[in-house]
Amino acid sequence: MSISRLRIVAALGAFVLVLAACNGAGDATPTTTQPSATTAASGTTAATGTTAESPTTTETAAAGSDLEGTLTIWAWEGAVQPLQTVDEAFNQEYPNITLEYQVQAPADVYQNLQLGITAGSGLPDISVIEDSHLAQFVELGALSDLTDQVGPYVDQMNAYKWEEATLDGRIYAMPWDSGPVAVFYRRDVFEASGVDPSTIQTWEDYFLAGQTISEATGVPLWQQATALNDARLFETLMWQRGAGYVDADGNVVLDQAPETQEILEFMGRIWDSGLAADSQPWTDGWYAEMNEGQVATVPGAVWMGTFLKSFIAPDTGGMWGVFPLPTWEGSARTANDGGSSLAILETSEQKDAAWAYIEFHLGRPEQQVEMYRASDIFPSLETAYDDPFFSEPDPYFDGQEVRSLFAEIVTEIPSAFVYSADYQEMNSLMQTELQKFAIGEQSAEEALANTASAIRERTGRS
Amino acid sequence: MTIQATRQASGAPGHRSVTGRSGAPHRLGRNRWPYLFIAPFFVLFAIFFLYPIGFSLWLSFREWSGLGEAEFVGFDNYLRVFSDELFWNSMRNAVILFFIYVPVMIFLAIVYAAVLSEGFVRLQGMWRGLIFLPFVTNMVAAGFTFQLVFSTRNGIVNKWLSILGVSAVPWLDDQMWARITLGLLMIWAWVGYNTIIMLAGIQAIPPEIREAARVDGAGPIQRFFRVTVPLLRPVIIFSVTLSVIGTFNMFTEPFILTDGGPIRATETPVMQIFANTFESIRFGYAAALSWVFLMIIIAITLIQFRFTTRGER
Repeated sequence: MSISRLRIVAALGAFVLVLAACNGAGDATPTTTQPSATTAASGTTAATGTTAESPTTTETAAAGSDLEGTLTIWAWEGAVQPLQTVDEAFNQEYPNITLEYQVQAPADVYQNLQLGITAGSGLPDISVIEDSHLAQFVELGALSDLTDQVGPYVDQMNAYKWEEATLDGRIYAMPWDSGPVAVFYRRDVFEASGVDPSTIQTWEDYFLAGQTISEATGVPLWQQATALNDARLFETLMWQRGAGYVDADGNVVLDQAPETQEILEFMGRIWDSGLAADSQPWTDGWYAEMNEGQVATVPGAVWMGTFLKSFIAPDTGGMWGVFPLPTWEGSARTANDGGSSLAILETSEQKDAAWAYIEFHLGRPEQQVEMYRASDIFPSLETAYDDPFFSEPDPYFDGQEVRSLFAEIVTEIPSAFVYSADYQEMNSLMQTELQKFAIGEQSAEEALANTASAIRERTGRS
Repeated sequence: MTIQATRQASGAPGHRSVTGRSGAPHRLGRNRWPYLFIAPFFVLFAIFFLYPIGFSLWLSFREWSGLGEAEFVGFDNYLRVFSDELFWNSMRNAVILFFIYVPVMIFLAIVYAAVLSEGFVRLQGMWRGLIFLPFVTNMVAAGFTFQLVFSTRNGIVNKWLSILGVSAVPWLDDQMWARITLGLLMIWAWVGYNTIIMLAGIQAIPPEIREAARVDGAGPIQRFFRVTVPLLRPVIIFSVTLSVIGTFNMFTEPFILTDGGPIRATETPVMQIFANTFESIRFGYAAALSWVFLMIIIAITLIQFRFTTRGER
């Protein structure tokens, strides 16, 4: 290779470098999230909106058939799949509405919504939004006011779900699913160590069971990373006790409730006793431990079932069981983690059709059950819980009636202010201080005080 | 060419009042093709470069969440930057990272280039290709692979180390180790690019000089340190300058490998700007951060030029 050609290569390289520097932020983010392959594969999947071919079922078509148009819906793979299972039924009732899903990973949905809102164009009619991100978009004023439409459903949904969707008494989203938390456990590990899961009522029981399991089998009780902790379990346990980062007025109370410190200290005890597997969540090692029975329990929300069945541990059917979350004195037997809602963007020009879609998918028990059947995304709609599907045994959980267990505890989820418009920042600040606590750099009290003061300083909350 | 045209072009004083206004467009009109040919660049440059820069400067004096009116707040955003612990922590991280990986990377690049430029190495093209390959590898895929390989509890590196009797290294779980692991990823990804630059530099050194050194009895090691490295000085400075900018601009690598953790030990300035933009939705403040960041980079680069070019005068 001659020098001049090398120069060209070097110059090209430098050019690439400059380009990379310019859009470093822009092109990297879509990649953070796993299902980008699926995004490429099924970029937009138009649902069957064929009006000519499918003769409409005349008895239901009357009300909705005059609505028409093409609705654009942003959602991630795990949400699109259940939504689409009832689209055929939707199109029988609304034959003139065509559905166009644009599949993006959650982080991309939020970032693109943000960009679209700022640009004032390029937004979908409907988007799935996780509750953890909902308040941020509500506060921006980007979502359509649905107060009148959701009226009939206010009493039919899990009460806690409305909080993130509400601002100044107006409601901006329709709840889809709830994230009741329970403990997933490995039956084989419990049997090998002679622990009966039904005896675990309180967190103290849980801790003692962990010691027994550890002595008998050497298997860690739970997975909690120390220096890479994501603070999710801490938040879940706060939620269980009705505690949170802020109070109903939005003031920071993280460092003021004795419960939060007790929770951190409990987590600290499990680390100190060597009962925790220090593995980073959502990495291959983390999955492998669940798959191979190298962890006894996984406190997690109902949707964890979908992940276990589909990609974390698909071959371990029958080896898992579920019991309600152990309690703190007098607390609920569950908490919430995650959950999402559907919202209409304020810029949509087809708000009626969009509401028809949301109402059909989320407001009717039969469709919600159909969607729940497709994936462990648990309906917030309480009228769905009477369906016989809930009392069917689930073979993955060795025939346990897991769904009715979740239906029983979901209504206990207390109101708690873990999520808010500043949730992402609060979670990020909590992670840092929790990590320092986990590796022994500071006390639980210091971790909470530092997080609270950082939140106050950065968000301007009092 | 007619006399009239010449007169117009020269803009004789007597005609100015008459032709002054129409003269310029006329002239432009006659010569418009070259301008049209270069126009796309300037149009794109203005839309995608000048406008965003101007807009971000405008934004940095305002509070804006993307919707509605942007509220003018004067220098408030800039004042806040100075007490923003997370931002300064990320700047500190960038400095530490720079010292962790850049010296090793530059040294390796020079060695690779020196070895590759020796005539006795066979399959030169293949070796160059292999060294350059990581540079064109998708960083996201590489980042996830490094995460797998360096996982403390399940990674293959620690498995190999345990065979050798070395206890598990907390590659991604400890603040300093995570920086080192990130440095390894940076070296892996960027050493090939720097090698190519060095190779070009080495091949520009007249072979007679090394030949003369050889005749004078200098061995290969001596020739490398006494002849090659000193003569490469301007190329090394070029590489280091790019690496300074590259380190402060680092985003994809830590975003994928460590997400800035543990305890924000690998969080870079661009990640902080990104978080303020897309997670906290403080566009004005993020713009102010970007401007402070830009000024610091310019300052560092200028200082670096001052120091490194002094010796040459």
